[in-house]
Amino acid sequence: MKKLLVTALLIVAGIPLLLMVAELPPYGSAENATYTHVSAHYLEHAVEDAGAENIVTDIILNYRGFDTNGEVTVIFTALAAVLAVLLLDRTPAAAGEESAPAPADEESTQPVSIVVSFIVRLLAPFIALFALYVILNGHATPGGGFQGGTILGALAIALTVVLGHKEAQRLLPEGLKPWLQAAAPLTFIVIGLAGLVSVGSYLEFPAVNGHVASAVATFFSNIGFPAAEGLSWVRAMWLLLLEFGIGIGGAAVIASIFWTMEAE
Amino acid sequence: MVSWPHWLVTIIIVPLVGAVLTPVVGRGRPKVIPIWALGIMTATSLAALMLIIRVAQEGPFSYLVGGWARPYGIELHFDEFSASVGIICLVGWLALLFSYHYVAETIPARRVPYFYTLVLLNLTGMIGFVVTGDLFNLFVFLEILSLSAYALVAVSGEHIAEMAAFKYLVMGAVSSIVVLLSIGLLYSVTGSLNMADIASRLAGVEQRLPVMLALAGLAMSFMVKAALFPLHIWLPDAHSIAPSPVSAILSGLVVKVGVFGLLRVYQIFYGAGTYDLTGLNTALVWLGAISIVMGAFFAIFQEDIKMMLAYSTISNIGYIVMGLGLASQYSLIGATVHIFNHALIKGTLFLAAGAIIHKTGYRTLTDLRGVGKAMPVTCMAVSIGAISIVGIPPTAGFLCKWYIALGAFQAGKPAFGIALIFGALFIFIYYIRMVNSFYFQKPTHPEILEVGEAPLSMLIPILVLATLCLVMGILGRIPISFIEPAVIRMLGPFGG
Repeated sequence: MKKLLVTALLIVAGIPLLLMVAELPPYGSAENATYTHVSAHYLEHAVEDAGAENIVTDIILNYRGFDTNGEVTVIFTALAAVLAVLLLDRTPAAAGEESAPAPADEESTQPVSIVVSFIVRLLAPFIALFALYVILNGHATPGGGFQGGTILGALAIALTVVLGHKEAQRLLPEGLKPWLQAAAPLTFIVIGLAGLVSVGSYLEFPAVNGHVASAVATFFSNIGFPAAEGLSWVRAMWLLLLEFGIGIGGAAVIASIFWTMEAE
Repeated sequence: MVSWPHWLVTIIIVPLVGAVLTPVVGRGRPKVIPIWALGIMTATSLAALMLIIRVAQEGPFSYLVGGWARPYGIELHFDEFSASVGIICLVGWLALLFSYHYVAETIPARRVPYFYTLVLLNLTGMIGFVVTGDLFNLFVFLEILSLSAYALVAVSGEHIAEMAAFKYLVMGAVSSIVVLLSIGLLYSVTGSLNMADIASRLAGVEQRLPVMLALAGLAMSFMVKAALFPLHIWLPDAHSIAPSPVSAILSGLVVKVGVFGLLRVYQIFYGAGTYDLTGLNTALVWLGAISIVMGAFFAIFQEDIKMMLAYSTISNIGYIVMGLGLASQYSLIGATVHIFNHALIKGTLFLAAGAIIHKTGYRTLTDLRGVGKAMPVTCMAVSIGAISIVGIPPTAGFLCKWYIALGAFQAGKPAFGIALIFGALFIFIYYIRMVNSFYFQKPTHPEILEVGEAPLSMLIPILVLATLCLVMGILGRIPISFIEPAVIRMLGPFGG
């Protein structure tokens, strides 16, 4: 009966959605509003305005960089949520309600096939190198901080499985841990404030206007380097820094979530 | 000071920096964490003050993030409605002060830094939500504030907390997806994400069905976030089981985000001008009226004081949504001012209830009999909150309800004005029950009389909020004349 009701409800909700899809602007038509308004502007101006050859990167890190600033904050929020809900005090008072504290000695003795362990350790540096490549090449080809960070995080998880908890956690030193976990939002904030101070608004990339930026341009022309090229070089560095921050922060968050869930 | 252009982005960045750095600052120095959080919120409040002064002086203004011209980049837009940042900062600051002793004594020590991180992230999300002028950016901030709210419900570790948080998470996540889908639909027909730009382009859109579905989707999902009956089922457990300062933030502020979302949707569609919103208005008025009555009805049968307050939030959201749906000038003013006043009142009540539960260890009306003699100051604050929420003059609750009722008459729907008064009667009954059991009944547990007042860090926020409940009743003209131009501008040709 309940199933029947749910099915009926889904059909009733589905009909207007299907009718709506039929009315949406046709995919690929030149009159489609999604092609003619904002994105047309991006396609025309992004490469010279925003500094990266990959227009998607231009949009997510520059035109709509503030959204990405928010997205990395969402990822950080997820980590804070996991830690706030799962961390337990080691005191008996808090652990009293739990049926039994998780056996601590079991985790490191999980048997892993020698072949798997060897292969993972053999591949680890190459995976890390690939992750770095994906992060740093994001401004030119598909990829970037989110993708590279995920690869790096997955590597940390794979290493935890074969090396055990203790050994793998050395990847993230205790003292640096909170910094690295917050790396992505922090990079955005630092770059954003640099833009605010040097150019004129939060997350604005160096251009010819703004006093600090014009000082940089003067510096480049003084050392015999074309000022415009120098600025676009600074802009590319800005993008790389953001990608790098997103990548490192993302990896730290993924690994920390995995470790917390595994331990508690 | 006031004309510095960057306050609008500072007000988001400061609490964000505070949130992500809390675990760094708090490493090995747990005592510093609450002071750090309070300092961060003080700075944020300063920014809020500057923004509110500026909007009062020169009207709405924008900030272009990244320097990109509208609609290519993201625009932050501060109008009179965005002045809600003031109440977010005020209640947030007082809830953090309340947490000073409360959290140290009730939450496992290792979770404490992340508790403060989440509170600051939640406030960041709300501030971003009310100041952004970009629809997708709105969604991003909605996610920050929702995700942190789900976690804050579960943070206490009480046995049903996880279940309550999970229920909240499922309802909230589904409604977030619908928000995203609706934004996608609006983008597919207008090609833009900037709210003002969407409003101006919507008038020329030929495909009506996607637009209407987007409107329905946004309205529906914001109703879930606002816990309007019958989409309220996540609220009572979540709000009553959360740590009390979190309850104050959730009940006073987070549910208002749903209402505020509705307000923004209305702004877009009124701005577009060519859409008939009578259907949505009627639905909102009816759902609002039902929420008022049902929320009050359920509250009467509650024994747990925080559960009672949680149901009372549902009635009050009903008032605000009804005011929105009536769409007359008076009712909209009443609704927007009630967003502000209800945050004060519910903040008082939840913090006072938190102090009582914290000191006595009991949370039902029967167990708490006679607590009025043991904690006279806190219980006086409860009484002030109670008469405010019922809407007895000269308290903060009276003025907004009066305006909403006037609005019902102005819109030619006097029946709803009467529903509103009936709702107030119901509300009166259950708050009388509470006050009666606190003051006039023989204690069930005689040892309750030995309990003293809560520490000052808890008492001060309660007293400040209770005083404001009275002051805002007397100075009620100020918020009303502040919001009036914005309401007139929003209603435009629709205004009565």
